[in-house]
Amino acid sequence: MAASSSRGSAVNPSGAKKARGVPALAPWLGVATLALMVASLFMVFEYVPTEAEQGIVQRIFYFHVPCAWVAFAAFGLVAISGAFYLWLGDQIWDDLGYASAEIGMVFCTLVLITGSLWAKPIWGAWWTWDSRLTTTFILWLLYGGYLMLRAMADDTPEVARFGAVVGIVAALDVPVIIVSVRLWRTIHPAVLVTRQGGHGLEDPRMVATLLVATVAFTVMFAWLLMLRFAQLRLRTRMKELRRQLALAEASAGDL
Amino acid sequence: MRAMGAFAAILRKDLRLELRSGQSTVALFALSLLILVVLVFTLSPDPANRAEASAGALWVAMVFAGMLGATRALLAENENGCMRALATSPIDPAMLYAAKLAAAFIFMTVAEGAAVILVVLFFNLEFGPELLRLAPPVVLGTLGFSALATLLAAISGRTRAGDLLLPLLAVPMFVPALIAGVKASAAALSGAELSAMTRWLGVLVAFDVLFVTLGGLLFEHVIGED
Repeated sequence: MAASSSRGSAVNPSGAKKARGVPALAPWLGVATLALMVASLFMVFEYVPTEAEQGIVQRIFYFHVPCAWVAFAAFGLVAISGAFYLWLGDQIWDDLGYASAEIGMVFCTLVLITGSLWAKPIWGAWWTWDSRLTTTFILWLLYGGYLMLRAMADDTPEVARFGAVVGIVAALDVPVIIVSVRLWRTIHPAVLVTRQGGHGLEDPRMVATLLVATVAFTVMFAWLLMLRFAQLRLRTRMKELRRQLALAEASAGDL
Repeated sequence: MRAMGAFAAILRKDLRLELRSGQSTVALFALSLLILVVLVFTLSPDPANRAEASAGALWVAMVFAGMLGATRALLAENENGCMRALATSPIDPAMLYAAKLAAAFIFMTVAEGAAVILVVLFFNLEFGPELLRLAPPVVLGTLGFSALATLLAAISGRTRAGDLLLPLLAVPMFVPALIAGVKASAAALSGAELSAMTRWLGVLVAFDVLFVTLGGLLFEHVIGED
């Protein structure tokens, strides 16, 4: 028993041994996501009062804002796990960052699409170069570049370090982007009032709906992240086993 | 002291290579020229917003020519495993980064001096003292671009995608400096007050400080091997 376990750890060095497939928590998170999504859909369509000025289209707000929150959180996680990867060198951090970037990209795309659908009836245009829109779009391009790097450099052994560096640099660039874009827009004449300018959330039911939708999207993010992360862990483990097999075959060939 | 010696030695080698072959500067200048020609045909300069159009053209030429030409000194090290030798040598990676950044900055600055003259000719501007006021935004923007491109080209140069990947990574990251640089250059060319430029120059300085620091800190992770 002792012999087999010590051989087992020799075959599974650091990083690879932690991969154990999908965690037991994942299905429960899936169920929770479903329940919360149904609840927020009900609240968005039945419970919350229609906003006085913008009418029915304003209800997209309750999905738009949680998507933005998840996108920003995911991209923050990319940078943090990148820093941990460069510091500790454990593949687990790279798998976490990569999974987070992919999901963040999905939600960032959803932010742009829902924002566009909302903008057309309210502002009369699918797209304006408003500071918030521009910043989100640049963020989308940044992480699109990150994912292109991951896709194009997939067979480079250093891809994890490249990803970490790009993730960190992109995240630290975001404050400068926000400042410059805001300056850029204030110099131009303000064609449109930003959506935060006109109205707050007067009705407490609006706040409640936004809160439930935010929790629903956050749980969904955690669920998706867990699934993708578990899959990447398995991929890492498979790579490691394949490498060891090749080594073993090579040394057997030498004998 | 030894660190500065390594910096000087690498930079001197790159400058000597450049003086003998002229590769980077000629490539940068030729690309700038072609980009400006394309822009003259596509923009059809209107006298009313000549300052803005010419400032924009200058920065488009700078970014896209720089993307292809600025990092030749760095990419040359990928041949014959020179980069591996540099990475394993006792040189501080930050110094190696600084030397490659300085080389890219010098080549780009030379090419841009020529590009400014082309912009004046193509867009019917005057040769005058306002061209000197173009120097702060252009120099600061070039420094930021060189810092960014040197770090990212070290990454893209080691993937099979190569040159294709660099713009995908660099252009979105360069957006703040691009906005600030174009605005400051347009203000300089239109003869506006110096105060109209200062906040844009502030953005450029912040961008430069951020990317030079990040490049120095992260370069070792980019050139190392697993």
